Amino acid sequence: MKQAGNKSEAFSLKTRIKRLKRDINKWSVLTLTIVFFLALPIIFIGVELFSGPGETWGHIVKYLLPDYIWNSFYLVIVCSFLVLIFGVSSAWFVSRYDFLFRKQMEWLLILPLAIPSYIVGYAYAGIFDYGGSMDLLFRQLGLEFIRIDIMNRAGLAFILSISLFPYVYVSARAFFLNQANNLLEASKMLGVGERKTFFKLMLPLARPAIVAGLVLVLMEVLNDYGAAKYYGVNTFTTGIFRSWFSLEEPQTAVYLSALLILIIFTLILFEKWQVRKIKFTSSKTNSTQIQRKEPKGVMQWVIFSAVSLPIILGFILPVIQLIYWAVITASTVFDMEFIMISLQSFAIAIVSAIITVFFALLLIYFSKWSTLTTIKNISRIGVLGYAIPGAVIAIGIMIPTLALDKWLINMLAKVGVDSGLIINGTLIALLYAYAVRFLAVAYNPIDSTALKVDNSIPDSSKVLGVGNLKTFLKIEFPLIKTGVFSAVILVFIDVMKELPLTLILKPYHIDTLAVKAFEYASDEMVMEASIPSLFIIFTAMIPVIFLNKLLIKK
Amino acid sequence: MKKILIALATFSIVVACGDQNKKKDDQSSTAETTTSQVVNVYTHRHYEPDQNIFKMFEEKTGIKVKVINASADELIQKMKMEGKQSPADVLITVDAGRLSRAKDEGLLQSIESDILEKEIPSHLQDVDNQWFGLTKRARIIAYAKDRVKPEDLSTYEDLVNKKWKGKILVRSSSNIYNQSLMASIIANNGEAAAKSWAEGVVANMARSPKGSDRDQVKAVVAGEGDIAIVNSYYIGKMLNSPDAEEVKTAQQIGLFFPNQNDRGTHINVSGAGVAKYAPNKENAILFIEYLISAEAQQVFTEANYEYPVLESVEPVKDIKEWGEFKEDKLGLNKLGKHNKKAVLIFDEAGWK
Repeated sequence: MKQAGNKSEAFSLKTRIKRLKRDINKWSVLTLTIVFFLALPIIFIGVELFSGPGETWGHIVKYLLPDYIWNSFYLVIVCSFLVLIFGVSSAWFVSRYDFLFRKQMEWLLILPLAIPSYIVGYAYAGIFDYGGSMDLLFRQLGLEFIRIDIMNRAGLAFILSISLFPYVYVSARAFFLNQANNLLEASKMLGVGERKTFFKLMLPLARPAIVAGLVLVLMEVLNDYGAAKYYGVNTFTTGIFRSWFSLEEPQTAVYLSALLILIIFTLILFEKWQVRKIKFTSSKTNSTQIQRKEPKGVMQWVIFSAVSLPIILGFILPVIQLIYWAVITASTVFDMEFIMISLQSFAIAIVSAIITVFFALLLIYFSKWSTLTTIKNISRIGVLGYAIPGAVIAIGIMIPTLALDKWLINMLAKVGVDSGLIINGTLIALLYAYAVRFLAVAYNPIDSTALKVDNSIPDSSKVLGVGNLKTFLKIEFPLIKTGVFSAVILVFIDVMKELPLTLILKPYHIDTLAVKAFEYASDEMVMEASIPSLFIIFTAMIPVIFLNKLLIKK
Repeated sequence: MKKILIALATFSIVVACGDQNKKKDDQSSTAETTTSQVVNVYTHRHYEPDQNIFKMFEEKTGIKVKVINASADELIQKMKMEGKQSPADVLITVDAGRLSRAKDEGLLQSIESDILEKEIPSHLQDVDNQWFGLTKRARIIAYAKDRVKPEDLSTYEDLVNKKWKGKILVRSSSNIYNQSLMASIIANNGEAAAKSWAEGVVANMARSPKGSDRDQVKAVVAGEGDIAIVNSYYIGKMLNSPDAEEVKTAQQIGLFFPNQNDRGTHINVSGAGVAKYAPNKENAILFIEYLISAEAQQVFTEANYEYPVLESVEPVKDIKEWGEFKEDKLGLNKLGKHNKKAVLIFDEAGWK
C-alpha cells in the first residue's frame, strides 16, 4: 500500500473511511469502550512518555541498559526453552497416556503457579544454602556437601521456569483434551507411529495454544521483581524500580516501562504472525474425549518420571522446604487470624477472577461481532497490562481514579456533603486494577479456544434468526467452557499471590495472604513468611482441584 | 457441581460486598470524627512486634491504629498522589533518607512536641521537627572469627585495601542501607573520594552482590569471603533464629564497629513524621510520642534487636554484649540529600 502513488493512496483512504463507516456498529463501539476502560491506566502511563525521560536517562543507557537488555534476553530464551519442555511434555503425557497417579498429577501440575515465584526463589536458596536443607541432609549421611550456587542468572531462569510452566501446560492440555481425538484416530488409521504423530501433527496444531501460554510466561518473566532482586540479577523491572525510587525519577521509570511494553508488543505480534500462518478452526464434533493409551514396559517409567519431575521441582520440593520453616516458626507466627485472611483473599480472588474473565469474554466476542479486524487488533491493547510491573499499574490506576474522586468530592461538597476518597482505598479500585493487570491471563486461553470454534456453528444459528447473545450463551459458551474455566483458575491464582498492586491500592481493613507473606519476607524473615505462603498454596488448591474436575467431567 | 460453583461465587460476592459496606461505614465514621478514635499509619516497618506496640497504644489511649504496609517509596508516591485527600496521619520508614525525601516533597509537617524534641538526640531528628528517629541500627562489619583478626579491621575506607581482595561480601546497591552508607561517605569525604571508595570495594568483592544481609553472613561462614557489610540487627535476629543452623552460623562471626577512632560507625534510624494533611494530627503526635515511650522502646529493642533512641532504655542483652560504640553524628537529613548521588556513583563503579 505504501509504495502506491499518492492518488491511489488517497483513493484507498477514502474507501477505507467508507468501509469504516459501513462497519461501525454497536459492537465495535462497545469494544472500544471496554478497551478504553481497561487501557486507561496504560494510556496514562503512555502519556507520561511525552514529557521525556529524566536527566539520568543518559546515565542509565551508559551504565545499566546493556545489562538489563542482556539479562532479560537471556531469561526470555532460557525460560522459553525450559517452560516448553516441562509444559508441553507433561500436557501431552497426561492427555494421551494412562499411568499411576495420572489423575492427581493432572491438577498437581497446575499448582506450581500457586507459589509466588519470589517465595520459590527463597525456598530454593534455603535448600542449597550453607546450613540449608541439602547441607543438613548431606551431613546426616556423612557426605561432603558440595554447595550449589543457585543465586545467579541461570538459577533465576530455572526458578521462573519451574514456577511458571503451568501456563503452557494448561493451555496445551486444553487443546490436547478437546481437539486431539479425531486427529489421533486419523493418524492411527494411516498407520503413523506415536512419535511421528506427536511431532508432525499434534505439536504443530497445538502451536497457537502453546504460544499463548508461552507469551504469558514471558510477560511474567520480564515483569518479575522479587526473585530477580534477591538473586542479584538486574532486569528491566529491577531497573524500573531503581530509576523510580533510588534515582527519584518517575519519568525515567516510565521510559523503561515503555521499552518493556515495546518488547512485549513485539512478542504478541510474533504470536499473531505465527498463528496466522496456521490459522484453522476445527472440531465440529469436539465432544469426544481423547482415548488414553497404557504405556508398556520402560515407557511407563519414562512417562511417569517425565510428569513427576516438574511437580517435584516446582511444587513438592519448595513446599517441603516451606513446611519445614513453618514448623519451626509456627509458635511465633501462626494465628487464627490467618483463617480470616484466607477467606478474604479467597473471596477477593474469586470475585476478581470472575470480573476479569467477564471482561475478557466481552472483549473477545464484541470485537468478533463487530467484524472489523482493526477492532480486534485494538482490543489487544487491553492485554498489555500484564507486562507492566504491578506498582506502575497502580500509579496508572491512581491517576484517573483520583481525578474522578476529586471531581466527585467537589460535586458532593457543592451539595454540602463532606466526603473522603470514594474509589481510592476501596475494593472498587483494587478490583479494577486486577482486571487491568490480569486481563491477558484470562484473554489468551479463552481466545485460543474460541479460535477453534468453527464460525459456521454460530453463523448457522444466526442465520436462523437467533441473536448474538443467545447464540453465545447456548452454543459458543458450552464449546469454549474449558478455556473459560482455565482462565478463571489462572486469574484466581494470580490474584491470590499478587503483591505490589495490592500493597498500594488495598483498603485498610483488608489483608491478603500475599501481603502477609511479604511483610515477613521483605524484612529478611523468610522462614516466617512460610506460613502465609502455605496458606496461599492451600487456598489456591481448592478451585484448582474443583474446576479441574469440571474440565474433565465435560 | 454447578450449584456448588454458583454457591461459592455468591458467597464470595457476599463476603466482598460485606467488606465494601464495612469500608463505607469506616469511612463515614472517619469523616465524622476527625478529632479522635483513629490514627492512620503508613508504615514500611513490617515487623511483628510493631503490631504489639500498636495494640498497646490502642489499649492505652482508645485510639484505633489503622495500618497500610508497603515500601516507603510506594507510600510516598501514594501520599503524593492522594494530596489533600490523603488519609495518612503518620509515615514511618526504616531509614532517614526516605523521611527527608518525604519532607522535601512537602508531605510532612512540623509539629510541636516537647517530649519528642527533648528525648530524641538532636542528630536523630529533623531540624524543622518534621520527622523523628525511633530506633537506631548500625552498619557494621561481620567477620569470620577463624580467619580475620579484628585488629586488621579499622574503617570503611580501609575496605579498599588490597589485603581484602576477593574477601568482601555485600548486598546489592539497590538496598537502601547501602545507599545511606554511601551517602554518609559522600557527606563526610566528598564525591570524588566516595567514587574511588566504591570502585575499590567492587574490586575487592568476593562475588557479585546478591541476597540479603543474612545471606552475606552465611556466605562468610561458608567461606565465600571473610568479611561482610551488614546491619547490626540482623545479627541479633540470627542469634535468636528459630533455625538452629542460623544460630550456629551467627555464632561463628564477630562484629566490628568501623571508624571508632575517627567519625564513628555509620548509623541509620527508622523514624516517623506527621503527614502534611493528617486528618487526625493530635492523634498522630500522641502516637509518635508513644513510640518513643520507655515501654515501646523496650519492645523495639527486645523483639527486633534495634538500638533504642531513648537513652534511658537499655539495649537488649544480645546487642549489649557487642559493647558500646561511637556513632557517626552526621545529621541524618544529609542521607536523603546525597541519596541520588550515591546511586549514581554505585552505577558508575559497577556495584550492582
